[in-house]
Amino acid sequence: MTISIETGNGVCQARVAGEMTIYHAAGMKGELLSCLDRCTELEINLSEVSEMDTAGFQLLLLAKREAANAGKRLRLVAHSPATLEVLDLFNMAHYFGDPVMMPRHGH
Amino acid sequence: MELDQALQTFLMESRELLEAMEESLLGLESAPDDPDAINAIFRAAHTIKGSGGLFGLDGIVAFTHVVENVLDRVRAGEAAVNGELIALLLSCRDHIGMLVEQVAAGSAARPDKETEATGIMLLNQLKAYQAGVQERPLVPAAAPSRPQATVLPQPGGAVESGHWHISLRFGQDVLRNGMDPLAFIRYLGNMGEITHVITLPDAMPPSPEMDPESCYLGFEIDFCGDNVDKAAIEGVFEFVRDDCTLRILPPHSRIEEYIQFIAGLPEDKIRLGELLVECGSLTRKELDEALRVQETLRAGCGQEAAPMLGDILVEQGVVPPELVDAALGKQKLAREHKVQESKLIRIQADKLDQLINLVGEMVIAGAATSLLAQRNRDPALHEATSTLSRLVEEIRDSALQLRMVQIGETFNRFNRVVRDVSKELGKDIGLAISGAETELDKSVVEKIGDPLMHLVRNSMDHGIEKAETRMKRGKPAKGTVHLNAYHESGSIVVEVGDDGGGLNREKIFAKALEKGLITASQTLSDQEVYGLIFEAGFSTAEAVTNLSGRGVGMDVVRRNIEALRGTVEIASREGAGTTVKIRLPLTLAIIDGFLMGVGSASYVVPLDLVMECIELGEAERREIRESHYINLRGTVLPFIRLRDRFRERGKAGRRENIVVVQYAGQKAGLVVDELMGEFQAVIKPLGKLFGNLKGISGSTILGSGEVALILDVPALIQRAVNQETQLLAS
Amino acid sequence: MAKTIMIVDDSASLRQVVGIALRGAGYDVIEGCDGKDALAKLNGQKVHLVISDVNMPNMDGITFVKNLKQMPAYKFTPVIMLTTESQEGKKQEGQAAGAKAWVVKPFQPAQMLAAVSKLVMP
Repeated sequence: MTISIETGNGVCQARVAGEMTIYHAAGMKGELLSCLDRCTELEINLSEVSEMDTAGFQLLLLAKREAANAGKRLRLVAHSPATLEVLDLFNMAHYFGDPVMMPRHGH
Repeated sequence: MELDQALQTFLMESRELLEAMEESLLGLESAPDDPDAINAIFRAAHTIKGSGGLFGLDGIVAFTHVVENVLDRVRAGEAAVNGELIALLLSCRDHIGMLVEQVAAGSAARPDKETEATGIMLLNQLKAYQAGVQERPLVPAAAPSRPQATVLPQPGGAVESGHWHISLRFGQDVLRNGMDPLAFIRYLGNMGEITHVITLPDAMPPSPEMDPESCYLGFEIDFCGDNVDKAAIEGVFEFVRDDCTLRILPPHSRIEEYIQFIAGLPEDKIRLGELLVECGSLTRKELDEALRVQETLRAGCGQEAAPMLGDILVEQGVVPPELVDAALGKQKLAREHKVQESKLIRIQADKLDQLINLVGEMVIAGAATSLLAQRNRDPALHEATSTLSRLVEEIRDSALQLRMVQIGETFNRFNRVVRDVSKELGKDIGLAISGAETELDKSVVEKIGDPLMHLVRNSMDHGIEKAETRMKRGKPAKGTVHLNAYHESGSIVVEVGDDGGGLNREKIFAKALEKGLITASQTLSDQEVYGLIFEAGFSTAEAVTNLSGRGVGMDVVRRNIEALRGTVEIASREGAGTTVKIRLPLTLAIIDGFLMGVGSASYVVPLDLVMECIELGEAERREIRESHYINLRGTVLPFIRLRDRFRERGKAGRRENIVVVQYAGQKAGLVVDELMGEFQAVIKPLGKLFGNLKGISGSTILGSGEVALILDVPALIQRAVNQETQLLAS
Repeated sequence: MAKTIMIVDDSASLRQVVGIALRGAGYDVIEGCDGKDALAKLNGQKVHLVISDVNMPNMDGITFVKNLKQMPAYKFTPVIMLTTESQEGKKQEGQAAGAKAWVVKPFQPAQMLAAVSKLVMP
């Protein structure tokens, strides 16, 4: 798992690639939160996430909540199929409120 | 197709396990407390049951299950090992073997009546050792559903929804344990339709305390499935029963059940109610009703809800620590065996046979190439072909080596035979094994089992005396049958010996006379007299027993051995014992031969039987023209003229040679025209037509495409020696 | 991407049948014939689930799982233990070692497939 970060104009773009799983959760929590600290708007690009489990999903939840508490914006963009499946199963796309392309067959 | 292959693996595996089981059971007779042996026996039954279940072999599973139960008790020290139990377990082993073989034979569906009856009888006998063991039914993979606290009927009707409502609160450790709520919910989705999911992140603590490896999620799920019952839904979450609070409301549950349900959840009551409505499990009206009823019941039973699922599980199965220790103390013996096994590749015997056939063809093709090279007198080509033949030779040896197995496994089977037969005969007889590591071709090993069986039984029955007689003769009361094997000049020798009474020359002679096998005037050596017991219809047993002594057997033994190009001889000392020596070729496929020409025909003898070659000068040829033996450095060497023996009509050669061959301690000369040198002969069996040709054991194809006959040296030597003796006698 | 399952059992026929069932459902399968063999074959490669027998030569299932769980690459990998109904104690021991799921022997291939897919979807 790697996170590459680009910042500009207070907007932080984080691109997560690889597995968003429990094996990488500890490191990822720190990275995402410190990104959030440094900007007013965080955009997480999920296009290269190959696998996501509940631990990975929880980190997105955490980031979303922390952003809201700090009055910052968090957007998830370019969901990969693996991430879309999780959002769909947990029925949480609406929680993040980002436009997503839902897979053709719902559940 | 694939499964069929797996079934073959299962059959092979079972046979091996049963063999190991037998070995360990026999070991228990001398060391009844050996934990390694007990473990090995348990594991054999355990594995056969486990794998048998996969193939739906219910008969095997059901029977082995009971055996395993008893063995488990033995392992735990709850049942004592004694002779009786060992005998019973041996019979059980045999029965499992029978069931396995019936599967192998394809009659998997039902064992035959006899087998079934044996099974029932054994199960009855096993009952005595099962006593005290809880009769547990075979549970399927899904855990049995636990009774849930039932709800007393209360006022209020059933809700409208025909869906299940499932409420999940995961414990923090689930993710660390490798259990992912995602996977469970996905699986649930495969069982029916998840009509609605609400994910509850409420329990997630503030960021600093949030452990990213902990799970903080809860779920409310509205689920609809045909033919789904509560146990099935519980089954989905069986692996997280300890780590999750699961509440399930069936379709059309009563309002009051919803009330209890809501009360049992950690979240705010009003919020939960809203969630249920959102999920579609309750209608708005039903929720209002529920909340109202709850108000009225507040003082009463409402607060204490169904006990947590997790709590129910906690006190499961406390097991005595001895059992654990016993299981941990792994069986050394089986371990060593397995270390070897992990280095082995299992291949089908017929694939190996095919390889050896191909190598055989290659040997012939190689010989053809060498021949061409020789004719062309091209030194470079000659060089190349000789390198090639050397390599082919190595490949041949390695290929044959692949098929070599140790004779030990065959020998070990006799532990059981000796044990059973000695009980049957009421004699105390032990088995001693030596040379177990001696290797021979698998095709040979498969065929010597029966002859060995006959010989061992014969030794026990006729060879070893009754204990009183033995004591009188100053021998230990316990008799010994000895199996031994070793290599000797290109053959393997297998010996079956006993320390019994030995053969009685006079008795055999008299018996043979009576049966008309010999005439009174014949003078016979000890060897020849002993050899008579291999004649058809010969038996000197005073009492015909169950086992041998029916006069069939020994002649069959000889025929079987001879069919393998082997010989049998007997050594015996009266009062001290008898040893039957079986001499067999190492392999049945290829021999290193020595090629000889007589007239226009070619003959091959196994190279390792050739002692030397002597060229006959003109004078010697004249000298021996009428005789059948020559003086070889002071000893008499009988010989056979192959030209006469096989009625070769071609013109006599200008030269003659004697090839001296030796077998089983006897020598003879073969007179031939030409010595053509060493040759690898791939043995082709003779067709039926030539099956009873005396003196020929097979044929082979030469590089030139011509056929050469492989001489049956033992038979020829026998003939030469007889000729000589007759001449000397007359 | 297919998920990888490792099956560890000393019975070759059991591994074969489980392998057939799992591959048929779309998993990749690797096999080990005992704990030691399994550790050697894993060698750091990603697996999504491990199925292990308890009673095995060389290294039994409990020791194997303990070892497995100490390796960073596998500390969160779910493990299904194969138990028998007479081995309740072994099940507890396995759970303590980190094998939180179990399947009771003898089982049908479909039962194994069900247990696996509860933990890892193909």
